[in-house]
Amino acid sequence: MAQHGGPQQRIFSPLRTALHRFAFILLIFSAFGLMLLGKADTVLIERIRAASADLVSPVMNIVSRPASSINEITDKAYNLAHLYEENERLRRENLQLLAWQQAARNLSHENARLRELAHYTTPPSLHLVTSRVIADMGGAYAHSLMISAGSRDGVIKGQAVIADEGLVGRIAEAGYQASRVLLITDINSRVPVIVENSRDRAFVSGDNTTRPLLTFLTADATVAPGDRILTSGHGGAFPPGIPVGVVSSVSENAVRIAPLFRRHQLEYLRVANYGLHGILSEQRIRQSQAPSNTDATNLAPDIPAGVGVVPKQSEIDAHKPMFKPPAPEGDRP
Amino acid sequence: MKPGVWHRLDVIARGLLPAFSVFVLLLINLLPVSLPLLSTASPSLALMAVFYWSVNRPDLLTALTAFFLGLLQDLLMGLPLGVSSLVLLLVQTGSASQGRFFHNKSFSVMWWGFALVAIPALLVQWLLSSALIGALLPIKATLISYVLTSLLFPLVAWGLARAQNSLLRYI
Repeated sequence: MAQHGGPQQRIFSPLRTALHRFAFILLIFSAFGLMLLGKADTVLIERIRAASADLVSPVMNIVSRPASSINEITDKAYNLAHLYEENERLRRENLQLLAWQQAARNLSHENARLRELAHYTTPPSLHLVTSRVIADMGGAYAHSLMISAGSRDGVIKGQAVIADEGLVGRIAEAGYQASRVLLITDINSRVPVIVENSRDRAFVSGDNTTRPLLTFLTADATVAPGDRILTSGHGGAFPPGIPVGVVSSVSENAVRIAPLFRRHQLEYLRVANYGLHGILSEQRIRQSQAPSNTDATNLAPDIPAGVGVVPKQSEIDAHKPMFKPPAPEGDRP
Repeated sequence: MKPGVWHRLDVIARGLLPAFSVFVLLLINLLPVSLPLLSTASPSLALMAVFYWSVNRPDLLTALTAFFLGLLQDLLMGLPLGVSSLVLLLVQTGSASQGRFFHNKSFSVMWWGFALVAIPALLVQWLLSSALIGALLPIKATLISYVLTSLLFPLVAWGLARAQNSLLRYI
């Protein structure tokens, strides 16, 4: 293709080398420019990322099917080999579960009655979108998945993503027909949680290992290996009570939890639309203004009424049980 | 004889093969696999392909192409933007300038060359990603990724060599 010899070559060759060198330097600078842009303008980058996910999702949707069917075959072979043990285990588990079922029925009746008595307002109902995992961005730098549901199916950024076992992550970017899920093990992931038994509040913070950290625990919190961790629902991002993991190790400087899902076996995920839109909605962040209520916290300006708003002192006083200090004996008429 | 339109289109299409092969490898990298090891650290298939083509056909995989393929990788994998662009760009430029060294040598020389190039490439990726995320990422995953990348290189290079021999012999 290149033109050989002649005076043209002698003139254009050095020019071309200079041009190549200039282009190289220009590209280096654009790479650093992209890094800065990625740090500064997250909204634009998010849109581009969502668009690129949409771009490859039709291909990945088809290509990931054979991959998952191969996985199914290996699974079947494994199950066949362990049929007897599995059956025994399931029998035992079934006995236990029947006992639990009885307990759950009793408790659910009792709960319903108590709720009626206490005029308990039920939390918003959960709307679930089921979708298939079409890509796994396995790697040392990011822990995320791509699923085959997007804004077309009502998926919005910030919604919780749940597997059968428990919380998997949240929607990082939602395209039209595909979205990226940020796993709870990713270094950018923070999930408000509570410890099931002690009701201590904390955050599950990923650090790109398979065992995320339990951070912002209070000093007097009691956590032991084996404790279950649930989402707390604070901030309105995740529905409360979704299992997140089990405390796996407690040391002096770090409490680590083991997530309940196994990443390489994730196939179908459910996206939970909790009706609160989460705290991550760009539109709401941009529209947010200082709250008119001076007693309100500044954390999330337009959270639903009654959530996260400090009640006025007069309201607190009104609800206080009528308790008056006993008057001194001598003053009695 | 003047080449016809179809012939020229054919040459252009074949010339796009290197970039297209990197794109396909990127998609393969994205496939969900049910191996526990691969979900924590995966081999960098795009890096292998960019190295292979820069050594063998630097005219068909230019610095600009490497830059955009890196951008695509960052976008698809949710990595900090610009890091893979820089890494692939440096690998392309470095390998293309040293490409002569590997010509007419046995494959093991190229394998060693790749194993050497992959060290700084993955280190730069790890350092810049850590800096941009604002926390030190675990180095263990990068090490596993490096071992997988250098071990799987012959397999990918074999596939690419097959494609090169059958489709790019005359252009």
